[in-house]
Amino acid sequence: MSPTGSIAKHLPLSEATYYIMLMLVTPRHGYGVMQQVDQITDGVVKVGAGTLYGALSTLEKDELVTMVRKEGRRKFYELTERGREVLRCHLGRLELMVDNGRQVMGTKPRGE
Amino acid sequence: MKETKRLFRWFWAWNDEQEEAWLKEQARDGWHLVTPGVFGRYTFERGVPRNDVYRLDYKTTGKDMEEYLQLFSDAGWEHLGYMGGWQYFRTTAEEGEDPEIYTDNASKVQKYQRLLLFLVIFLPIYITSLNNVSGAEFAFAQVISALLALALLLYSYAIVRIMLRIRQLKR
Repeated sequence: MSPTGSIAKHLPLSEATYYIMLMLVTPRHGYGVMQQVDQITDGVVKVGAGTLYGALSTLEKDELVTMVRKEGRRKFYELTERGREVLRCHLGRLELMVDNGRQVMGTKPRGE
Repeated sequence: MKETKRLFRWFWAWNDEQEEAWLKEQARDGWHLVTPGVFGRYTFERGVPRNDVYRLDYKTTGKDMEEYLQLFSDAGWEHLGYMGGWQYFRTTAEEGEDPEIYTDNASKVQKYQRLLLFLVIFLPIYITSLNNVSGAEFAFAQVISALLALALLLYSYAIVRIMLRIRQLKR
């Protein structure tokens, strides 16, 4: 799968952006994203409030995420179709990276 | 009423991390920032020594300010006010590493780029006013023009320092 130009310009995603986008497959507000990233990575990946705010602004400007609703002062965001496409392409790249790494290093996938 | 003190401290825009460290030291001595004031006039309040962490973000006020402050508040940061475009935040340090608001270099670079953009936008205004004053013939015109020239020099120096900081972070 080779991404088209408009998708490719967003790749590769930084670690923070990847996790933020991953959390926005379902609608969440900013702090919800931070909590969820911390939880699913067991605290290995941390996204600070400044980093998150900046990333959300950029993603919104690039139309990869969109605001879906507002509760008080909290805005909820979700991936756009374009955002999902970017995330899928990045995931493909990550898989390739892991496969290549395992081949060269001769290590087996976890749990085998 | 609680004991307070006012301290004046010149804050260089490229030294925000030293500023954070200085505020942390004050808190360890039992002086807690109440609010940052205009031109570096800080108000502190006497209390028990605390292991607090201070963080400065660069963000000029806009209509998204409410959402921004809500996010920081949700994440455990107390907003103490702002000076220039610098937003002052505080949280209590847990065991281990001090909490950060910027968790990667790329976003830290973006913070300095916002600051740089702001400085560069205002540069032409400085230069224009310098031209106007040096052409005028009223009393003190030379004094004012010298002061403006000095300000412009500092301003340009700040721009260079911030650019160097960005380059250092990108490495």
